[in-house]
Amino acid sequence: MRAGGGVEEGVRELVRARAPRAAEHAELADALPLGSGGLGLDSIALVELLLDCERRFGMPAATTLLAGEPLTVGRLVEHLRAAAPR
Amino acid sequence: MTRRAATLAFDAAEGLLAVLATSRPLAALAAAGALGRARNQLSRHWPSPHEVLVLFPELAPPAAARVAARIGGLEARNRLAAELLRRAGLPPLRSLLGPLPAGFAAFRPPFILGTFHAGAVHALGPALERLPAQVLAFRHGPLFAAEPGLRVETTEGDEQRRAAAFQRALAHLEDGGCVAMALDVAPGPAIQVPCLGRTLTLARGPFALARLAGAPLVPLLARWRRGGVEVLVGEPLAVGTAPDAEGALAAAAARWLEDYLRASPAELGLGLLRALLGSGLTRVDGRR
Repeated sequence: MRAGGGVEEGVRELVRARAPRAAEHAELADALPLGSGGLGLDSIALVELLLDCERRFGMPAATTLLAGEPLTVGRLVEHLRAAAPR
Repeated sequence: MTRRAATLAFDAAEGLLAVLATSRPLAALAAAGALGRARNQLSRHWPSPHEVLVLFPELAPPAAARVAARIGGLEARNRLAAELLRRAGLPPLRSLLGPLPAGFAAFRPPFILGTFHAGAVHALGPALERLPAQVLAFRHGPLFAAEPGLRVETTEGDEQRRAAAFQRALAHLEDGGCVAMALDVAPGPAIQVPCLGRTLTLARGPFALARLAGAPLVPLLARWRRGGVEVLVGEPLAVGTAPDAEGALAAAAARWLEDYLRASPAELGLGLLRALLGSGLTRVDGRR
């Protein structure tokens, strides 16, 4: 199952721009980790991706996103959708 | 005495000095320096004069042997300082710090302090406490408590933990603080730059931080002196806007280190020396 909305496509576009390994995936599944075991983004690229999201969607990425479980495409989309003004 | 017995005797002496150091740090560190020089001269290995000559070919062999012995002394002092930091934190080291250079307190944050494993690297904590700014320092190794103006965090962990640390460092700079870290410890992304005719691997994080925050990088070192610890700072290195701004800033930091070490080769830490020797030669254009 995939998170939905315009945020979803925007996030996937930003992920593809940051992660060379994204080209190996026809579709970026929600469960795909952005770091090791997935798209292989290093620590700096992960933060730059969150900064890209801030700029694109106008909302700061929560610091909690990087705490705990591996950050996945789906978690990032869900976070930004939840933070979006209604 | 066999080499094994000598090693055991030196290790035992280091253990005794670690106990003495909490109450009499200056005397213990001076004794550790003498012990390290003796160990070097007996073993001819810690480092060897030949290893010194590879990096500093302009030295005459007797001078290289003296530098090697002093690097042995530096290594022993630094091992003791690291142990002291682990056992007792910053208090014993605070008493060793001399007056800070005039320029040190004049820097206005945000900026990044970048140091190397040269000189008295483990004795820098008290200097960071005296900065007129909120300092967030990153350390690869055991952490220690500090005065309220200095917070120490680890650089250890997987890429997501390091990303979280990087995010906090960026926010700290954006809030007008100062971030301090060793440049030559690269647990994550790295940049390779020429230094002393070899290739020096630096962490990419500090240079990426400088680029993203638009903050200058201030090179920083400390060195052991008879009366304690002396701190040296370089001129702030500004980050450019060119596509390889991080690489250019890293190369500028390595040039600053190289200039310092050419003038003071005995300040080269043993670990950094071995890392440079293991790195392979650098061509004149900086490529390996």
